[in-house]
Amino acid sequence: MTISEIVNRTQAYYCLDCGICTGSCPVSRVTQDFSPRLMVEKVLIEEAENPYDDVNIWSCLSCGQCSARCPSKIDYPEFVRQVRKAAVTEGHSGVPAHRGLFQGVMRLQTLDVKQNKTDWAREAGKIAESGDTYYFVGCAPYFDVEFREDWAIDVMEGPRGVLKALNAIGIEPVVHDDERCCGHDLMWNGDYENFAKLARLNVDLIKSLGCKRVVFQCPEGYQTFKKYYPEVIGEVDFEVVHFYELLAKEFERGRFGFEPLDGVYTFHDPCRLGRQAGIMDAPRALLQGVPGLKLIEMEHNRENGICCGTSAWMSCSSCSKEIQKSRLREAIASGAGHLVTACSKCRLHLNCALRDVEMDLKIVDLNDLLARSLKV
Amino acid sequence: MRQKPRYVEASRCTACGACAEKCPTKVPNEFNFGLDEHKAIYKDYAQGIPSVYTIDPTHCRIFQGKKCGVCAKTCQAKAIDYEQKEKFVDLNVAAVIISTGYELFDATRISEYGYGRLPNVISALEMERLLSAGGPTKGHLTRPSTIRAEARVRELAKRIKKAETDQDMENLGRFQAELKWLEAQIHKHHTATKLGFIQCVGSRDFRFHKYCSSFCCMHSIKEAIIAKEHEPQTESYIFYMDLRTVGKGFEEYKVRGEKVSGLKYVRGRVAEILEDDEHNPIVYYEDTEERRVKSMTLDMVILATACSAPKGVNPLAEMLGVELDENNFIKTHPNRPLDTSVPGIFSCGCAQGPLDIPESVAQASSAAARAAEVVMTGGLALAM
Ligand SMILES: Cc1cc2nc3c(=O)[nH]c(=O)nc-3n(C[C@H](O)[C@H](O)[C@H](O)COP(=O)(O)OP(=O)(O)OC[C@H]3O[C@@H](n4cnc5c(N)ncnc54)[C@H](O)[C@@H]3O)c2cc1C
Ligand code: SF4
Ligand code: SF4
Ligand code: SF4
Ligand code: SF4
Repeated sequence: MTISEIVNRTQAYYCLDCGICTGSCPVSRVTQDFSPRLMVEKVLIEEAENPYDDVNIWSCLSCGQCSARCPSKIDYPEFVRQVRKAAVTEGHSGVPAHRGLFQGVMRLQTLDVKQNKTDWAREAGKIAESGDTYYFVGCAPYFDVEFREDWAIDVMEGPRGVLKALNAIGIEPVVHDDERCCGHDLMWNGDYENFAKLARLNVDLIKSLGCKRVVFQCPEGYQTFKKYYPEVIGEVDFEVVHFYELLAKEFERGRFGFEPLDGVYTFHDPCRLGRQAGIMDAPRALLQGVPGLKLIEMEHNRENGICCGTSAWMSCSSCSKEIQKSRLREAIASGAGHLVTACSKCRLHLNCALRDVEMDLKIVDLNDLLARSLKV
Repeated sequence: MRQKPRYVEASRCTACGACAEKCPTKVPNEFNFGLDEHKAIYKDYAQGIPSVYTIDPTHCRIFQGKKCGVCAKTCQAKAIDYEQKEKFVDLNVAAVIISTGYELFDATRISEYGYGRLPNVISALEMERLLSAGGPTKGHLTRPSTIRAEARVRELAKRIKKAETDQDMENLGRFQAELKWLEAQIHKHHTATKLGFIQCVGSRDFRFHKYCSSFCCMHSIKEAIIAKEHEPQTESYIFYMDLRTVGKGFEEYKVRGEKVSGLKYVRGRVAEILEDDEHNPIVYYEDTEERRVKSMTLDMVILATACSAPKGVNPLAEMLGVELDENNFIKTHPNRPLDTSVPGIFSCGCAQGPLDIPESVAQASSAAARAAEVVMTGGLALAM
């Protein structure tokens, strides 16, 4: 896509030059050189420079805070996504975090690799070889390899929690060794070629298994399948459901209850789950269903929730750290002792900042919390 | 036409106000956005016409099945009638003028502005009441958080007395601590002197109303100038995208606001409003002229909320058979700006779109003239 096609697609020409995007952006608040408004304006007034050369195109978190508030409804993350896609074809790229390990793993999965992605599930609960429901686990198992030793974080608590809860409501989902990364990160890194390959492999797998619905906990996987797969695959013929909505419905029906749990908790809305997919009530309804648990809100919550500071394993910087720390300060200021996350990346990113500061705060995984106190 | 009961006989009431003085029941005053109270028999404001008092049956003791009747005893004109019923009046008319006006945009829909949650973030209409000599503070810019704190102080005084008689030491200590904090707050932040006006709230916003409400730039400048007249140390910041001062003398008024009253115009639409622990609103915005993201702590924030079509307009339009435009205002003919889609039915003022008072008044006169034409020609004028 040329830059003028990108402008037309995102209707960026409606920009009023009002500054709401830049005033709202968590990156701009820390890094004054970063301004979504100016990036749009530059393209519109065709300032000589090539937008693909601008390092700032890699700093956007695609959190969507700007576009949610933009009075002209300009989809800035979409603008960035398209610019990155074009920039990569011109040989540019962002700076990957963690030495590019994850991008490496993701690209490897486009090949004919043999993975073991089910042993953990057989230990944690019951899974099926075939059936209606597929549970798309996502990349947590790979993150676990990187972080379990170094940071003493058991990332697999999340998927184990999901599986236990699914079993508890009578679902024995299909989990498969041949599942690939959904491609979310490579897409946001601008690598469309490999994103499309991953998308194809996943959809073919699920089709071959004959599953009718795919349950996601990972907010990124959910959004990628729902919003971006149709772009490369066309409409998929299975239902894409989010675990919390499924679980909250069963909870409402009285299918299960929770053991009491004491303490003051606050919930961090992942950008993709909250602002972007609009799933904000279900996780709260589940948390509020736990007797004794006191749920309070941080200053920024729901559609105004702040991003965890890094996205798509790219451009992790001192700015990311500052965003993360200010989020932790908000949690403390709210009076919570526990910060609940619903995305394994949010959990890792916020924990990364917590390692640098002295704060009386525990970061917990929502799925783990729910599975532990769930009683049928 | 349906006429709701006032429970006061309009032809007898002299609006002396004796009833309200004696009425024992206090009700939050809706006209002043609940910032003060009036009695269960009341009148919105002194200049309102027809000048007749009204009983609020949802609060009046008689209607709650309790003993009272104080107003009926007090009224020398014998105007009180608790038995009054709703009336339906059949009118045979040759022309109709729809002048049902507008409604303020509900700013709670912009959650990032905290309206309804942050006490010192108010709408421009609430500001009108605060600035009015007949308003809840008689024109003094007392912060809404202070008004609430004062009410809480009165309540605490009662509770403290009760805790003292009950020897309830635990609660006594808590109440006294709260009282001390509130009194200090009231003293420290009594009057709002640093004001922020936020323009285009719900207007020029594709999420809500695409159109410009046309009068809010002017009323914000007006309110800021009046605030300065009431309290000379007032500092006002107007956060705008562009100031639309189109109208006779309007541009000059804007310049006067800056040069004479010291208003500061800041170019940038506010991104979000938070507050500190003393209820001071903090606005975050990009100063687009300096290309910098900034924050400013203020005493009070006034939202220039959009002019929205009233919710009740749909059943009215259906009843009359007139078309509405894409913004739910009454659709008017492009060349005959008072004519609706139905001959003989006219519309003027904000019912057909955002207009200020002089424009609304001019349209009202014209609409009356158009209606008179129809009546006086026995309908012949409709054919022209
Ligand atoms: C904060 C603020 C400050 C302003 N300051 C100024 C200013 O200084 N100068 C200026 O020129 N303009 C000002 N304006 C604009 C001004 O309010 C409008 O121009 C004006 O009110 C329009 O008059 P109107 O009669 O068309 O509508 P409205 O004032 O809205 O009147 C319509 C009336 O119809 C009644 N009604 C509605 N439906 C029915 C029904 N079904 N049956 C019976 N009655 C019904 C309503 O209750 C209302 O009383 C200000 C606006 C705001 C929000
Ligand atoms: S918020 Fe939207 S309209 Fe305003 S400057 Fe940013 S992109 Fe332009
Ligand atoms: S998507 Fe988020 S990080 Fe990117 S410009 Fe918008 S607000 Fe900033
Ligand atoms: S009802 Fe009677 S007492 Fe009340 S204002 Fe009217 S005349 Fe006066
Ligand atoms: S009159 Fe001014 S504040 Fe009101 S919508 Fe138009 S530009 Fe915005």
